[in-house]
Amino acid sequence: MRVIMSNILAIYRRELQSYFASPLAYAIAGVFWLLSGFFFITILSGITQQVAYADSAGYSSPIDVPYQFLQFFLGTLGSVALFVLPILSMGLYAEERKRGTLELLATSPVTNWAVALGKLLGVLTFFTTMVLPLLIYEAIVFSTTTPPFSFTVVLLAHLGLILLAAAILSLGMFISSLTDSTILAAIGTFGLVLFLWVIDVLGQKLGGPFGAALGHLSLLKHYNNLTQGILDSSSLVLFASYIVLGLFLTAQSINAFRFQRS
Amino acid sequence: MIEVEHLSKVYGSTPAIEDVTFAVEPGEILGLLGPNGAGKTTTMRILSGYLPASAGTAKIAGFEVHEQSMAVRKHIGYLPETPPLYTDMTVEGFLHFVARIKGVSAGDRPRQVQMAMQRCNLTEKSHTLIRKLSKGYRQRVGIAQAIVHDPPAIILDEPTVGLDPRQIAEVRSLIKSLAGDHTVILSTHILPEVSMTCDRIAIINKGRVVATNTPDNLMAQLTGGSGYELEVEGDVADIQSRLIVFLQGLPGVKLAEIVPTDLPNHHHRLRVIAEQGTDLVGRDIAATVVGAGVGLYEMRRSQATLEDVFLQLTTEEKPLDTLTDPDDVEPSAGEAA
Repeated sequence: MRVIMSNILAIYRRELQSYFASPLAYAIAGVFWLLSGFFFITILSGITQQVAYADSAGYSSPIDVPYQFLQFFLGTLGSVALFVLPILSMGLYAEERKRGTLELLATSPVTNWAVALGKLLGVLTFFTTMVLPLLIYEAIVFSTTTPPFSFTVVLLAHLGLILLAAAILSLGMFISSLTDSTILAAIGTFGLVLFLWVIDVLGQKLGGPFGAALGHLSLLKHYNNLTQGILDSSSLVLFASYIVLGLFLTAQSINAFRFQRS
Repeated sequence: MIEVEHLSKVYGSTPAIEDVTFAVEPGEILGLLGPNGAGKTTTMRILSGYLPASAGTAKIAGFEVHEQSMAVRKHIGYLPETPPLYTDMTVEGFLHFVARIKGVSAGDRPRQVQMAMQRCNLTEKSHTLIRKLSKGYRQRVGIAQAIVHDPPAIILDEPTVGLDPRQIAEVRSLIKSLAGDHTVILSTHILPEVSMTCDRIAIINKGRVVATNTPDNLMAQLTGGSGYELEVEGDVADIQSRLIVFLQGLPGVKLAEIVPTDLPNHHHRLRVIAEQGTDLVGRDIAATVVGAGVGLYEMRRSQATLEDVFLQLTTEEKPLDTLTDPDDVEPSAGEAA
């Protein structure tokens, strides 16, 4: 067990290091921060203007500004992540295959699971560091609200974002293990994730128990639950299932790749 | 240390290797020699546990490479055809990483990494990014990652490919220095490489091992050892009907023949090869030539080279029966890398 942990940690550190040494990763982080900053400002000013307008018009029903803002902002971040995450995950295995380093990993006393888990944790950590600065300016804004806004809700919402990211990255890692072209991996992941994002629309169209079951697979639906501060165990189970499924399929696909390659 | 028995690998319907059998004793260096596409890389990949075999068994340190893959992986160092390098890491960082996933304990790691860098002459480049290294240095990093955990068996697939002559010499002496403590199997298509570095050679062609022996024995067995080369002057019919017949009558002569050349008129080159285990006496040959009334212009001893052996084994359809059963060596249908 200690050996496996040590292996996971070794893969994790290597992966993380490669992100912090990669210009592509910095470019992605830069674009992500730029977009999220832009949305932060527009959503915040949009809501405050709305409130000012409602006040001046004399509407009596109050608007929960921090809550609404959080929901809008995290919803937007989820959409941005939809584009950013496939680019982060595309190289996880495709690069290893292209460089031939998969042959090193596959002939070292490390299980496919440990490699996949280490890699997933590495890329997830990088994404988390991308999200952390946003928490700082959210904290600044929320600290000015009266009555004070519960920071647990904020943390829960961001945990939702991280879970969503983990699910997408895990599936993206699997797609990346299928090819040695990073572009193909990114496009494939984007397609799959977009499909899972809106699958509840398809479920509603179909109706019946099958449609309902499809609706439950939707990433967007469960993500929205978490950003609203609803800690639904079914959402956690769904995200965890996607993560485990991605890891499992990755481990299997690496095995199959070695067995079938010609 | 390494036992390979009746190993076969089929890609789809194309056989890459068929019924490959050989063994490597502890501390020995075995060279797997063969033309490109003979199945060397496939054999290496199966030994490293990267590819499963279609049939047959391969054992390293007593562990079956596929069934006890994890145990085998701890006992081998493997340099694939293209060195597996994370180009965004420094040499030292990369070797630390490899040592770690190969299961070297934290306390031993710095010492092992230093030793591997020293052996491969990488110490001065330890903090350089692998991306910035030349091909020769990258190849050395590839070898360093194969020995960093001090494995009992080392598998090197084309370790000197793409290096300049000086680097080749360095890598060869490095490989030789590994013998004794380590069992080494290396593949190559370069002949001098095996004769210089290896204790034994397995020649592989079209997926089959056609000969296994020490370099000296291989040459001796296949060509009957030494012989003489002569340049003579005379009528070709005369030489054919008289001199060749006389020469073949000498004791210990296995073969006497005219070698086609573009020598000037009436000059011909002859080859006289000794029976296995015997030594020809040059005086007898010279006396026969002179006695036949043929002018003798040049005469020198010739030693068959490994090149001759290799060409003979890999280009002729029928190998010599002294080595292998003739049924075993029909040219196979296909070949794969």
